[in-house]
Amino acid sequence: MALMALAVPAVVRGELVEGPLVEFGGRGETGFAVADPAAVVPRLGTRNLALSRELAALDLDDILDYLAELGARLVDNGHLDEAVEQSAGLADTPPGLVRSNYRLLPGLFTREATEEVVAAIGRDVLTGWPERRMADGRTGAVRAFGVRSAHIIAGNSPLIAAMTLVRTAVTRGEAVVKTPSNDPLTMVALARTMIDMAPGHPLTRAVSVAYWKGGDEALERRLYHPAAFDKIVAWGGMASVKHVTRYLGPGLELVTFDPKQSATVLGPEAFEPDALDDVARRLALDVGAFNQVGCVNARVVYAVCDTGAAQDLARRVHAELQALPPTVSTPAGRVDTELRARLRALRTSGFHTVVGGRADEGAVIVSHLDEPVDFAGSLAGRVANIVPVETAEDAARHLDAATQTVGVYPAALRHRLREVLPLVGVQRTVELGCAVSVHPALPQDGFEPARRLVRWVTDEHLPAGSDPLDIVFPPHREESP
Amino acid sequence: MSSQTATTEELFADDPLAWAGGDYRALHRLGQTELADLQLAALRRRFADLRGELVVLDAMVADTGVEAVETLGDVVPLLFSPEVYKSYPASLLRRKRFDVLTGWLGRLTTVDLSGAGAAAATSIDDWLADLDASTDLRVQHSSVTSGTMSFVPHTHTEVDAMFSVVGARVRGGGDPVPVVWPMIREGRSGIMRCADALAEHVAGGEAGVHAMHPGRMSADVMLLAGQIAAARARGEDVAADPGLLARREEFETLRRESEAAMPGFVERLADTLRGQRVYLMNTWNTLHQLASTGLDRDLHGLFAADSLIEPGGGTKGAHMPGDWQDRVLRFTGAERLQHIYAMTETTALHPMCGEGRYHLEPWTVAFVLDPATDEPLPRTGTQTGRGAFFDLLARTHWGGFRSEDLVTVAYEPCACGRSTPQVHDGIRRLKDVGDVDKINCAATDSAHRAALDHLSGGS
Repeated sequence: MALMALAVPAVVRGELVEGPLVEFGGRGETGFAVADPAAVVPRLGTRNLALSRELAALDLDDILDYLAELGARLVDNGHLDEAVEQSAGLADTPPGLVRSNYRLLPGLFTREATEEVVAAIGRDVLTGWPERRMADGRTGAVRAFGVRSAHIIAGNSPLIAAMTLVRTAVTRGEAVVKTPSNDPLTMVALARTMIDMAPGHPLTRAVSVAYWKGGDEALERRLYHPAAFDKIVAWGGMASVKHVTRYLGPGLELVTFDPKQSATVLGPEAFEPDALDDVARRLALDVGAFNQVGCVNARVVYAVCDTGAAQDLARRVHAELQALPPTVSTPAGRVDTELRARLRALRTSGFHTVVGGRADEGAVIVSHLDEPVDFAGSLAGRVANIVPVETAEDAARHLDAATQTVGVYPAALRHRLREVLPLVGVQRTVELGCAVSVHPALPQDGFEPARRLVRWVTDEHLPAGSDPLDIVFPPHREESP
Repeated sequence: MSSQTATTEELFADDPLAWAGGDYRALHRLGQTELADLQLAALRRRFADLRGELVVLDAMVADTGVEAVETLGDVVPLLFSPEVYKSYPASLLRRKRFDVLTGWLGRLTTVDLSGAGAAAATSIDDWLADLDASTDLRVQHSSVTSGTMSFVPHTHTEVDAMFSVVGARVRGGGDPVPVVWPMIREGRSGIMRCADALAEHVAGGEAGVHAMHPGRMSADVMLLAGQIAAARARGEDVAADPGLLARREEFETLRRESEAAMPGFVERLADTLRGQRVYLMNTWNTLHQLASTGLDRDLHGLFAADSLIEPGGGTKGAHMPGDWQDRVLRFTGAERLQHIYAMTETTALHPMCGEGRYHLEPWTVAFVLDPATDEPLPRTGTQTGRGAFFDLLARTHWGGFRSEDLVTVAYEPCACGRSTPQVHDGIRRLKDVGDVDKINCAATDSAHRAALDHLSGGS
């Protein structure tokens, strides 16, 4: 058994560590073996000032060239091909969709894409010390420095690994990436491609990747401390975050992409005869793209309509889910027995209509009263819940800071809602049909990730001949002749 | 269906103790084939009787296409998940639409609810009290873990049949046995309802029940407490119901009194029941609390050695010391603990034997399902998976139930001499068995639970 298990190497500062291996269970029957965390993890908990200096000295354009070349190598990439095959049984989606996601990776590394990340931080603060003359007379120069971060990434989308890599390189940071059991593969494949391309390059050596069982206190206590890291970047589930909070303290900051849910709001215009087909197709995309494994996928749909119209829309969306291209969405493959039992219970309740869901093809639930099902947080495998409401604003009662994206139709309603939904905590409104497409250079979850991943440093001075006491205690100016 | 014309399988399912001629022991010594044949005949009878009478069962048949039950396994697609008992929109409780809720409940039971005056009810307590008074229903509500309360429509008649068996098991045909009830006396949750039945079948009347506190555990307060916990996990406040706020003083008094009542209770037990044979059934944490309070007061070996102490239902989230069972034995003086396996959805307390196995009462058909597919595993040998059951005692509601427990069931006869299938010790919740290291950015109920645990300092 141990010999049969899938072997996943670790990467320590740009060097591959292939053994000795220790086996982990993973989900279901698929286990995997990783380079022994007891040997690997202690090597990740120290800083290397020489490497920091090398990174700080890199020219930004050289960094972007490096990323562009890396992106080009992600097309027809042997390591990624292998990861696609090995993902079966581990990943949240079937291998075909893992491959589709991998086809999106090169787009994150093009010069155009990385320049947008640069612009989000500010090219000037990454390349020099832009100066600002302040009202009190001083000159403040600002620069964004790279930091050393531990990234506890989520495994539902391979794009998370790529985004982590781009942000780390652009900021001249150093990253230790702790992979999850539903994707121990992508980050290793990316790091191996870097090693193949530019062994020994500071950007290559700035990346370490390892899997260990999250929450292993003996390991993590020695890893997560301010002497090793400036930031811990945690994606997703509380389970991953709660292990980490006990290590936080002065000098070690937590950056979280909290677990989120997304929703949809449809105005009455969505049910006009010439809009309905387009709305159904767009809604199916928000629900079903990449099999609804993301926090950005639509789950609960608040629609200004009556039950009959909601049922009609449900049938159309169910049909459109089946019509999505297989590169974007497929039947779930494995049936979630819990969800299927819940759908069955709803069919008997007298308060819900359920369209589909008898196999693994997805389903659309219509609530007859204006509230979501009580397991709305567990909707998965292309299952949505349409909730008829009297006004679009009624949807706001159900949305809060745990709501990441709200897809809206039509545009006029979106413009209205973007003024009020943020007041209850919503972080993103988007045209219906585009919910799952997250742009890495735009704010996410209510903050600007790339700008959070740097140390903002200032250098300040006074005009020549000034008296520092004028700055330290401005009333001094009036008191002295 | 008078008993004169009842077929043997009808009698077996309706009144197992009468079928066995009052011999409880014999019920667990049927041949495997004999038991399976009886169970199948009774199951087919229940299916035939309830088809066309029970809206929810008919909907399930339409949904699954299972029109006939030829073997025990045929019924598996028709087993209800726990969601069936809480599939009503939660806003109905907020809006006090107990008339609509009665309509929903009416889909789950053949009991005629037309006489119930639900429209007048202003609280769950009132609603359930009215159902108690005007019908044979004795609805058992759940505790609230995810913000929703489930309602299981048992009847007095069914619960009676179950507890006449418990009575026979405890009393063995002899005198009533005092019941020690280390909780608030009244309530309508699964466990609280037991006190009423124990009074009748074990204690020989209310005078034989020694309850810690005479008050009532309100369903409305339990729901509110559950909703507050769930809302806190989401970082929200719950806008408390004005009606509940008005009763807050009453609830606060009950809470304070019941928390303070345990020391006085053990003193009373020492005064009134010392040396007597008693029946004491409760959750692990409550039994441990009782024992600790007693031991702190230097009370040891309080009851007769042949007292029946029945822990069930696990820890209910409480932290339990490793020696809690010893402490319960030291305080009570009982020779051993009689562990039981029970759930609100089925009418049985399945007792553990000397071999450490929970023997399923013979009117409970056990299924083990593959957790990944829900397909039934063979009813032979020893199987591990999702526990599912058919409660043949249920004649006014559907007894098929698909639990959320991961269980190991042995179908072969036990070394203890009983032939009934057994559930091994070490029952776990299926959702606790998953991979915690799978990280996904989408918020799930379990993420919220984890948050709650974390914020409240648990796990």
